[in-house]
Amino acid sequence: MLDIKNLSASIDDKKILDKFNLKINPGEIHAIMGPNGSGKSTLANVLTGKNGYEVKGQILYQGKNLLNLPIEERARKGLFMAFQYPLEIAGVNTNNFLKTSLNTIRKVRGLKEIDSLDFLKLVKTKAESLKINEKILNRQLNVGFSGGEKKKNEILQMTILEPKLAILDETDSGLDIDAIKIVSEGVNSLRNKERSFLIITHYQRLLDYIKPDFVHVLINGKIAKTGCSELALELDKIGYEEMRASK
Amino acid sequence: MMISNFDAFQIANQSGSELDNIRIKNFNIFQKKGFPSKKEENWKYTDLKTILYNNLHELELPNHEIISKYNSEWLLKNFEHNQIILVNGDFVSSTFSFEDKEKIKIKPLKKILKDKKDFKKIKDYFTDQQNSLASLNHALVNDGIFLEIEDDYSFNKPLIIYNFFNKFAENKIINNKYFISLGKNSKLILLEYHKAEKNIKYFNNAIHHYSIRKNSILKKFSIDNNLDNSYNYHLTNIKSYTNSIFENFLFSSGSSFIKNEIHCDLLESFGSCFVNAMIFLNKQQHHELKTNVNHKQRDCKSSQLIKSVLLDKSSGTFQGKIYVQKDAQKTNGYQLSKALVLSENSAFNSKPELEIYADDVKCSHGSTIGNIDQNAIFYLMSRGLSKEQAKKMLIEGFLNEAIETITERNIQSLILKLFIDKINKTKFEIDEN
Repeated sequence: MLDIKNLSASIDDKKILDKFNLKINPGEIHAIMGPNGSGKSTLANVLTGKNGYEVKGQILYQGKNLLNLPIEERARKGLFMAFQYPLEIAGVNTNNFLKTSLNTIRKVRGLKEIDSLDFLKLVKTKAESLKINEKILNRQLNVGFSGGEKKKNEILQMTILEPKLAILDETDSGLDIDAIKIVSEGVNSLRNKERSFLIITHYQRLLDYIKPDFVHVLINGKIAKTGCSELALELDKIGYEEMRASK
Repeated sequence: MMISNFDAFQIANQSGSELDNIRIKNFNIFQKKGFPSKKEENWKYTDLKTILYNNLHELELPNHEIISKYNSEWLLKNFEHNQIILVNGDFVSSTFSFEDKEKIKIKPLKKILKDKKDFKKIKDYFTDQQNSLASLNHALVNDGIFLEIEDDYSFNKPLIIYNFFNKFAENKIINNKYFISLGKNSKLILLEYHKAEKNIKYFNNAIHHYSIRKNSILKKFSIDNNLDNSYNYHLTNIKSYTNSIFENFLFSSGSSFIKNEIHCDLLESFGSCFVNAMIFLNKQQHHELKTNVNHKQRDCKSSQLIKSVLLDKSSGTFQGKIYVQKDAQKTNGYQLSKALVLSENSAFNSKPELEIYADDVKCSHGSTIGNIDQNAIFYLMSRGLSKEQAKKMLIEGFLNEAIETITERNIQSLILKLFIDKINKTKFEIDEN
């Protein structure tokens, strides 16, 4: 699904990712943990195609060179990122935006455009399962949403767009326990043999609900340690400093 | 800059009333002052003298032997309405199929101007000399609209005033006036719809007077999205009396030159005045909106929301003033202008002004000028939208806030549709810094 080789990324001459390597197979869930400033969000941004980074190395996504693809092409080919800080976009209606997005992606997949009625039905079902008040989806995108609503809205978009590879950038931060459970259920419901996830988080807590196949510890732009889900528990006890020291 | 054939015009339009002298006097005033230029405070962002000089060397007065024809395709369909049609400024026809005709008095202004007795009713409106264009209009006005709505009458359907300009307007200066008055407890929804044939250059100098008596409501919408290469000065004066409501919405997508001036006098208590606008400019278009809301008595409310988007080499200006007189206690005044300037070669000027002489008022104003948020473009693109789609969605979203102020649903949908048509035909080349 995803094969990252020797990926370096810098911004204003400051190196953030340093010869980073990671391979994700279809159906796998990988968690990346790490202290502040270790490069977690940069990794997510580089994968999604955000401008402003100087990038070296190679990223193969479904066998193709991802770095050559424009942002929207990556999304259309099934890459999805749940934003750490979802943007408030005034004047843009959430449902309209989501419908436009879905139809662009459906077109690439060779599917017919979804009509308004079917779309609203789909949104209703998905929103209910995430315990999102449907009314907010008729409002401007993320404007006036609570922190939890914004994060849930990202997961809603994910469940509707059905990506092949989903990157969750600190989706758990700012969520209460109940919301974490709901969001995790959303992720777990999408889990299948073909779909992969890259979950970026500071805390082990989220991984109680979404069981990863691999846990990587990112320190100074490199993976310092890789293990199974128990590594997260270990980290929770000893902290990143210890991990940095023992490296 | 010359205006030819005034003498011939003057002779052809002689009425035998005071108007004859008013015309000569005002034409002389205009000759002395000329078209407004940058030297005047109100025109410092828009030098009309230079603009006209560079584009229209000599303006002719219209020759009224030419029959005013219009393309009936231009009339709005699937929208029940009453209508008045002006072609090249001439009153061509009016139909009030949905109304009680007893309650409405409608006349072409030409008839009023030619009748000594009728002219007395509007004589006072020929004294204003706030700028040379007003003088020019007094001297050269030859037609327009005179509409009186009686007390206690609410229109059943909107009234659309079509202002069409065809090839016979080429190189002409067209001066007209409207006099529209609402009696007490009346209501009118008015849509002014301008459309000019492609590439026709003319100068339209229009002065509109509205009077809204006690407890009456006037909702006025102007659609200036088809003015193409024309030059326009539209001055709107409103007199608002006790507890009346004036709502103005302007949708302009520019032309070679448009200046809209809106002066609203809140003459008595509990009146409200809303001026909202959505301005979308591209190519080399130029638009200026100047508002002047004058709170003369207590407990009145005014609110202005102006949203502008500028592309290519366009330029826009908003000069907005809230004036609160000494007796206008408990005034509530609000004004906000937001502009997206999307090209290095486009420019927007904003000059908000508050002038307050009462001590117990709530007044605020704000003004922002900026570009589209790159992070927002990234967000939308990360969901599969192309850059073009993302930009359009963000611009639509930005202007939506203005469209949402429209309180008439059917007119809101109409304006939204016209706007979407416009934006879909527009090429976006946006500088990204």
